Amino acid sequence: MTWSAAIGRRVAPLLACVGLLAAWQVAALALKNDGFPTAFEAMRAVPAILGDKEALINILASLRRMTIGFAAAVAVSIPLGLLMGRSRAVAAFFNPLLMVIYPVPKAALMPIIMLWLGVGDIAKTLVIFLGVSLPVIYHSFEGAKAVEEKMLWSGAAMGLSSVQRLVRIVLPAAMPEILTGCRTGLVLALITMITSEMIARQSGAGNILFNALDMGQYDTVFAMIIIVGAMGIGLDAAFEKVRARLVRWSEPQFDIPLSFS
Amino acid sequence: MKVLPSRSSEIMAQVPAQQPATAMIEIDRVSQIFQTSARKDHLALSDISLAIEEGAFVSILGPSGCGKSTLLYIVGGFVSPTSGSAKMKGKTITAPGPDRGPVFQEFALFPWKTVLGNVMYGPRQQGVRATEAEAQSRALIEMVGLKGYENFFPKELSGGMKQRVALARTLAYHPEVLLMDEPFGALDAHTRTRLQNDLLNIWERDRKTVLFVTHSVDEAVFLSDKVVMMSRSPGRIRQVIDIDLPRPRRRTELLLDPRYQKYVVDIERMFDDSDEAGANA
Repeated sequence: MTWSAAIGRRVAPLLACVGLLAAWQVAALALKNDGFPTAFEAMRAVPAILGDKEALINILASLRRMTIGFAAAVAVSIPLGLLMGRSRAVAAFFNPLLMVIYPVPKAALMPIIMLWLGVGDIAKTLVIFLGVSLPVIYHSFEGAKAVEEKMLWSGAAMGLSSVQRLVRIVLPAAMPEILTGCRTGLVLALITMITSEMIARQSGAGNILFNALDMGQYDTVFAMIIIVGAMGIGLDAAFEKVRARLVRWSEPQFDIPLSFS
Repeated sequence: MKVLPSRSSEIMAQVPAQQPATAMIEIDRVSQIFQTSARKDHLALSDISLAIEEGAFVSILGPSGCGKSTLLYIVGGFVSPTSGSAKMKGKTITAPGPDRGPVFQEFALFPWKTVLGNVMYGPRQQGVRATEAEAQSRALIEMVGLKGYENFFPKELSGGMKQRVALARTLAYHPEVLLMDEPFGALDAHTRTRLQNDLLNIWERDRKTVLFVTHSVDEAVFLSDKVVMMSRSPGRIRQVIDIDLPRPRRRTELLLDPRYQKYVVDIERMFDDSDEAGANA
């Protein structure tokens, strides 16, 4: 990779952001609509929100639920997906169940969950958990299924038990696929987080957004969209960094020279 | 079928004195039936019996689909025979174990481990201390000609290099028997020749028992003490041929050796005959 290409790769997303904001600014100035503040006004509201203790507590509460929901989903879904990928019996048992749950929008379950668990943290965390689980299960399943039989045989010949083979061969071999599922899961966690707070409005980033909408504070609405969007971009970028490190061995372009010069 | 005139007395003199040969592996009336997708039984192996002596290099030679790999997998404990049994040192084989080390055509390296990590994996699993396992593994990597590549990942290596790593990885946990499943089948002719030479050099140091599956007549004759010829549908043993060629074998010398040429031609003729018989049937 050349030096200029490296710079280009870093600058390109920034340019896209600036371009988007500029287009927004121009459009808002042209339309002169109360419900459509300019990019500048929205940006100006961002520090106001982040400086407000109440708002900050709300956003942190959102992030906490999202972290717990995501972590719990990953902790359950990876082992389940791997087991399904390696055992026909486990797959046969869980597959019908998952096929029913898969296409249902998890936010649509929110009213029932609220009815049973209230509008508090548990209900919202559960929805996030459900949203994240399915892609992670699916990708873990696919990753485990694709593990080469001979690789497992090689492990068995070295004396690895079936549990050791699952943890020490299937898990690492499926890791690239698993992490692809986790990345999708992370974005879904953010989506279900906001949606759950829109439905059960009690606290959180989604709550601030909709309260502002009710009160006609459109600059705050747009500022919240910017904040949530930035959170998504930041989380995804951070995750991608971790992912690239963990599965360095499987990346298509891995520029370690094939000579020792 | 007439096989070559035996000159074993001469040849014996060139081989270091050996203990009386004992059967390391005994395959006893093994049959294997697979269910095909149409729910029809396919007899892959029919009534195979074979004894492999300790320290022998034995090749199983046959056309694709004759069940030769399946036979190797049964000895490895990866596949259970439908009937009959395979024994290692008198004990019936029921599962894979570190006494039998496989080397597969597909290499089957752990792609998330470096070359060194792959080779160390077996010894570490066997409880060898890390520093000791590393020292042994580095020596093995050097022996298979990959010094300097210790920290490379498998995907950065060529096919021939991967197979060298796979061989080192298996040798690292000191199996008593090497089970090689068409190990050079995926390699180009030049690389294959080099690996055959290197395998023989390595094997001649400690003469492990080797069971080597191949469909190449040259390869089988060049490497083996004994060639087990198999025929297809159902897979059975056609003939077992002792290869009385002196060791250490040098490829360039062997290619000019009329005895070597006769083995190759005889075996190829036998396969041709059976193909014609099959075509007429």
